[in-house]
Amino acid sequence: MNRFQWFFYHLSRLFLALVFVYAGAVKIQDVIAFAGHVAAYQILPYAMNDLVAAILPYVEFLAGVLLFLNVRVRPSLVVVGGMTLVFMAALVSVLLRGLDIDCGCFDPAGGQDVSAGMALLRDVGLMVLVVLTWVLRNRLTAGSAKREARDEETF
Amino acid sequence: MNDDFKRVLLEACVLVAFGALFGLTINHQLVLDAFAGRLVSQRPVVDAEQELQQEAPLALPMPVLLEEVRQLVADGGLIVDARNPELFAAGHIEGAVSLPLADIDDVLSDFISRIDKDRVIVTYCSGFGCPDSFDLGMRLIEEGYNDVRVFEGGYPEWRDAGFAVAGEDQ
Repeated sequence: MNRFQWFFYHLSRLFLALVFVYAGAVKIQDVIAFAGHVAAYQILPYAMNDLVAAILPYVEFLAGVLLFLNVRVRPSLVVVGGMTLVFMAALVSVLLRGLDIDCGCFDPAGGQDVSAGMALLRDVGLMVLVVLTWVLRNRLTAGSAKREARDEETF
Repeated sequence: MNDDFKRVLLEACVLVAFGALFGLTINHQLVLDAFAGRLVSQRPVVDAEQELQQEAPLALPMPVLLEEVRQLVADGGLIVDARNPELFAAGHIEGAVSLPLADIDDVLSDFISRIDKDRVIVTYCSGFGCPDSFDLGMRLIEEGYNDVRVFEGGYPEWRDAGFAVAGEDQ
């Protein structure tokens, strides 16, 4: 684990943390508006939209906080990566059906209209960061394990 | 799958469970409402939005076509001119009464005292693209008139069709 890898691990971890803390926090502010965005995807039955809207922002927020604190990083990456994959699948289905909707990725009340294509591109970027963070994390722990083993030998 | 990855997955599930717990604790009413089939608009949503919905009148003035206007008048309906008094004086549909939207607050009480609430009202103004007839129709519905229609073709369509008009220019 060299300095570069160490640096990029923390950089991408903190970036993902901020993205998901922000995404969760703004949706928590207005869960009902977010439910409307989920409904606009026309994927889930009526009541399920509200259930997803009631839970998803909190999971995003929690995973973001854990990433930020550098605690339970790999489970958080699994959750964040899993959510991103689900978002990507939803966005692909939106593109295939030709729906013209706001992605609802961030601020549900904000007027920033992000097309499904742009949102999908952004999610691909997030997914790359998730994988990168995962790989660097594994190297980091492997490195420290090796160091520990070496330290034990010297004693 | 090795044990290490299994543990990671398990912890991920616990993370999601905690998120769900938080979310459901805070938003349980929303979810219960949704599963009970209550509409979003019936929930205490954004206050301003709800007030707007409550204030909106239940009915909108129905649009009518040229031929229907003649029939409605023959059946005892009243034609109401929403344009300003100068235009009304220059030329209007025969039998129409002037109720200029611009001066509505001054003229409405007199109109209400003379015209029965159950009488069919047809509003018009200067034709398509002129919103006054619709706005006047909305106002009359708010005042309690039960059957208000809008003749969107307005004075130009009536006049050009060769029907009876009155006024100084005729």
